[in-house]
Amino acid sequence: MSAAVINSNNRLSTAWRRIPGAWRQPLTVVGLVLAASWLVVALLAPWISPQDPLAQGPALYQAPSAAHLLGTDELGRDVFSRVLWGARISIPLAMLLVSLAFTIGGTLGGLAGYLGGWVDEVVMRGADFVFAVPTILLAMAVVAALGPGLFHAVLAVVLVSWPGIARVVRGLVRTTMESEYVAVGRLLGSPTHRALTVDVLPNVAGPVIVLAALEIGNAILLLSALSFLGLGARPPDAEWGSMVSTGAQHFEAWWIGVFPGVAIVSIVLAFNFLGDSLRDAFDPKAIIKARGA
Amino acid sequence: MALVFLCLGVSVMAFVLTHIVPNDPAVANLGDRASSDPVAVRLYREHFGLDKPLPVQYVVYLGNLLHGDLGESEQSRRAVRTDLAEYIPATAELAITSMVLACLLGITLGVIAALRRNRLTDQVLRVVSLGGMSTPQFWLALVALYVFFYQLSWVPGSGRLDAAVLPPPHLTGLFTIDSLAAGQFDVFVNSVQHLILPACVLAAFNMGLFTRFTRSAVLEVLENDYVRTARAKGLPELTVVFRHVLRAASPPILTVVGLAFGNVMTGTVLVENIFSWPGIGQYSYRSATALDLPAIVGVMLFVAIVYILVNMVVDILYGVVDPRIRLA
Repeated sequence: MSAAVINSNNRLSTAWRRIPGAWRQPLTVVGLVLAASWLVVALLAPWISPQDPLAQGPALYQAPSAAHLLGTDELGRDVFSRVLWGARISIPLAMLLVSLAFTIGGTLGGLAGYLGGWVDEVVMRGADFVFAVPTILLAMAVVAALGPGLFHAVLAVVLVSWPGIARVVRGLVRTTMESEYVAVGRLLGSPTHRALTVDVLPNVAGPVIVLAALEIGNAILLLSALSFLGLGARPPDAEWGSMVSTGAQHFEAWWIGVFPGVAIVSIVLAFNFLGDSLRDAFDPKAIIKARGA
Repeated sequence: MALVFLCLGVSVMAFVLTHIVPNDPAVANLGDRASSDPVAVRLYREHFGLDKPLPVQYVVYLGNLLHGDLGESEQSRRAVRTDLAEYIPATAELAITSMVLACLLGITLGVIAALRRNRLTDQVLRVVSLGGMSTPQFWLALVALYVFFYQLSWVPGSGRLDAAVLPPPHLTGLFTIDSLAAGQFDVFVNSVQHLILPACVLAAFNMGLFTRFTRSAVLEVLENDYVRTARAKGLPELTVVFRHVLRAASPPILTVVGLAFGNVMTGTVLVENIFSWPGIGQYSYRSATALDLPAIVGVMLFVAIVYILVNMVVDILYGVVDPRIRLA
């Protein structure tokens, strides 16, 4: 029996060792588990939440108890259910806007890095303008102009987040294009699209994945901040930022605002853990340098 | 030159963004009754030049900008410049204090994390710094207020001073400095008590950022031969860290500190609103929700100029810490 245990232990530990170093970091595991659980919650919220997030009950301002795990809010709604449902708003929207931002930023940055010249000049100066204005100021101006609402808030966040991605992609593409093996490939007569797919893409993909993990965290933060200010989701939507804002008006019932905030912290932290460990796994200098360039 | 160019760009961007809008500023500012009156709306548009075509509006705006006129706020009915002058010192006091806190803490913790690489201290600091970067500032501000004001009463609540305390005579607009200059020690203590909590909340994000970047910058330097030489010479560890490592690691840290200025401004919008801090963060929020276009463009322009100046100072500091850049 003992032999079997040792054997399986061995097998486990070899399997464990085969996982790349970054994934064995305890914080990476924590990040992965947290992010995955939130994804599951977002998918299953309608089935696992004990109550309808919008259903008002007779019990107002109930402190956390067995009946209401995280208490009830000023309209008697179950805070726990609302926090679970909040994942259905924040996570898909953050993913949507990060993919939008990456499509725009990646395309523009890639073109700027590949073509150089005036295209590069125009794209990078455009990015500079956006960089010079703090994200929330720009986002507030956009949302105020378009009118408050979740969709407009998403557009605003896309608008302020593409330049960071464009810069990184441009830097990576340029570094790769200047490398000797791309030059050699050209000398050997391989076509441009081959240089792009075989040489450039793999070099850009890794750091971009890292950046995406970090950007999802930032997107959730900014989106919830806009909702907190009343420019994104609006009551009665079960959105974390606007739930914290409601909690701010009911200080004595601290659970109304504290728990949605804990939800934001835990999911953003999860993506930051992932991004941070992955950054160590890929060349740690690549991203920092491209960002500073 | 770059400064002028960037200002032009930012003003065009801000202008276009805020003027091609489906929402009507006249409606936003006049209120329901007045905005249903076509005459009032027309007069309002004429007063603020909104009846002219957009390029004309922009040229007029630029012309005024050249002699320092940012236009009139549609909300306060005062010159935007006057508004900014009133609100900037409050934000400056808050932002500078938080940046100093974030730099001191972040760089120290980053150095410690690098020296203790992959040990328990490093892991704990990783959680702390990433935690700082993952916590929504509006939530942190509320929790801090709840704990330290509502429950413990360690700090006074919102605002820059207690209601009963008169502001010190105006000198710089920074209450801490003005009160010391006037010798009003009690006012100084009161303003510090009001400042400390919002400044700490505002510092959390950048503290985390600086810790991460300092750690990686220091790690890169620690691999160098001259660090081993310095240690082999028997120099005390502190001397090695300060004279050899930190100096060589400072350019990337400086870059991040310069860029982090934008984070502070983002934070002030949220923190000022929660702490009722009468600064440009609150002003810009009020202007944005009221579609006060001259005020929004004015704030953006001002902040962009400060951002550019900060990063120019960073460029100069590169030369100070790195003789190779000075020579180049």
